[in-house]
Amino acid sequence: VRGYAEFVRTAQSCHGRPIFALFCGDKDAEGRSWCPDCVTAEPIVRKELHNLPDESVFIYCLVGDRAYWKDPNNEFRRNLKLTGVPTLLKYGTPQKLVEEECFKAELVRMLFTED
Amino acid sequence: GKNEYDLLVIGGGSGGLACAKEAAQFGRKVAVLDYVEPSPRGTTWGLGGTCVNVGCIPKKLMHQAALLGSALKDAQHYGWNISQPVHHTWSVMAQGVQNYVKSLNWGHRVQLQDKKVKYFNIKGSFSDPHTVRGLTKAGKETVVTADNIVIATGGRPKYPMHVAGALEYGITSDDLFWLKESPGKTVVYICLTGVSPDVSLECAGFLTGIGLDTTVMMRSVPLRGFDQAKKNQISFTTQQQMASLVTEHMESYGTKFLKRCFPTKVEKLKNNGLQVTWKNADLDREESDSFHTVMWAVGRAPDTKTLNLETVGVKTNSETGKIIVDASEATSVPHIYAVGDITEGRPELTPTAIAAGKLLAQRLFGQSSELMDYDNVPTTVFTPLEYGCVGLSEEAAVQHHGSDNIEVYHAYYKPLEFTVAERDATQCYMKMVCLREREQRILGLHFIGPNAGEVIQGFALGIKCGATYSQMMKTVGIHPTSAEEVTKLHITKRSGLDATVTGC
Repeated sequence: VRGYAEFVRTAQSCHGRPIFALFCGDKDAEGRSWCPDCVTAEPIVRKELHNLPDESVFIYCLVGDRAYWKDPNNEFRRNLKLTGVPTLLKYGTPQKLVEEECFKAELVRMLFTED
Repeated sequence: GKNEYDLLVIGGGSGGLACAKEAAQFGRKVAVLDYVEPSPRGTTWGLGGTCVNVGCIPKKLMHQAALLGSALKDAQHYGWNISQPVHHTWSVMAQGVQNYVKSLNWGHRVQLQDKKVKYFNIKGSFSDPHTVRGLTKAGKETVVTADNIVIATGGRPKYPMHVAGALEYGITSDDLFWLKESPGKTVVYICLTGVSPDVSLECAGFLTGIGLDTTVMMRSVPLRGFDQAKKNQISFTTQQQMASLVTEHMESYGTKFLKRCFPTKVEKLKNNGLQVTWKNADLDREESDSFHTVMWAVGRAPDTKTLNLETVGVKTNSETGKIIVDASEATSVPHIYAVGDITEGRPELTPTAIAAGKLLAQRLFGQSSELMDYDNVPTTVFTPLEYGCVGLSEEAAVQHHGSDNIEVYHAYYKPLEFTVAERDATQCYMKMVCLREREQRILGLHFIGPNAGEVIQGFALGIKCGATYSQMMKTVGIHPTSAEEVTKLHITKRSGLDATVTGC
């Protein structure tokens, strides 16, 4: 999904199921994100997707361009309390991994499989 | 054969986690077992131990909620247009607090994983001095072996088992912080004999502060408002004096006190309320009232029952049940250690458990020989009017040095913030216990007032460095603060003079 509104709509439509979301910076025409940490994290996270619990949903969300992200009042910062990209979180819980934490496969696996 | 781990820590609380993480820093293979036996009410929680889940953290946050309520009342005097009365919604506060605690649980999980510490959510018990076995919630058995084992299972609140209905209908601090709905009209029963009243008074304090009808029932009585002569007696017990001031304050702010009363039974009412019957020792008669919640605060017991300590020979204190350790936190069994609330004779505090755990790991794996220093540990009770202290109480100083060799300086003061808000500062008090001779080394400092914890922290360093009264008098105060009054203490108890100080 792209942007905050689409993210919220999608999350609401999955209400009742565990939702995991990865937030990354937008990608250019060549498919490269302006956020270097996101470039590193994405393949690592995708590799662990098979560990997601049954019934759960994984949302991959592009937050916007660098300028939008840097704005301290953007909707992701304000409403979802995101502090950085990439952020991988379990929606509706305090469980999340931020920036370099997303590089560690064991932490990603733990987030997907822990109660 | 070789043991699986260099270190196994049983108990993932303040002490256990600190020890495990420190050992992992030395590149050791470490495992942590943590398991929370649900309370009789069914309450349970995640990794982090008592402090994070049902102690310091939620307590201080709810104390803050109550303080904000007071601040809202004061605000009118400072010009804010706030319509009174202001109402409090328990569930909003509880959710905020509980979410924060859960983020701490998660933070610990991430840290353990990050430091390559293996975590098992199992209840462990000893098979032999190097082997611990446990069952997961699903019933699967796991066996862990280690060269060194640290027991850090802490304690749980006690129930007054002689009171009918205590277990079925009463809750403890384990449950209070996790309630989804307001506890409503509450009675907190404290048994003061040999037990510090901190938890109970703190809870009763914030419950009153958020607007709930709260009663504290106590079997014995904290020393009541004392006359001038007694105020200056050096032989007063500090805890009684401070407890008295703190409870006087609570009483003036709306907490009801039932003194010299003890409950005999708790029964369930048709409307889901609870009928509590108690004996009033003063009036020598039975009394009764209905409450929405009954909370027991009769002390904490060490969590050792299911550890199987007898099998491996770890000695415990026959009276308290706590594990006996020496200055290096070693138990009676080689390679088995213990830290935190579970240990006999140690303060039941998070920072001492953390420090002891870290130092133990450094001694085991880091070629250190530094022992934990339990002297001059500063503490604070977060009652509505806070009480912070460091060092010796008056009576401990007298016992150690004799009352002729002690000088006690004291003062009643008024925090500046109270003036415009027209708040009563009768109980704002401080005293400094010093040696009488020469430079007058400071042995202890006691402070009752707002932000007591913040005030005492800095002075703890001074005491650690052997600060004297002379040095304190040469220390310039920060103005205007309450803490500066410490640097201006000059009235002695011995002089019998009025200890009330006025502002500038």
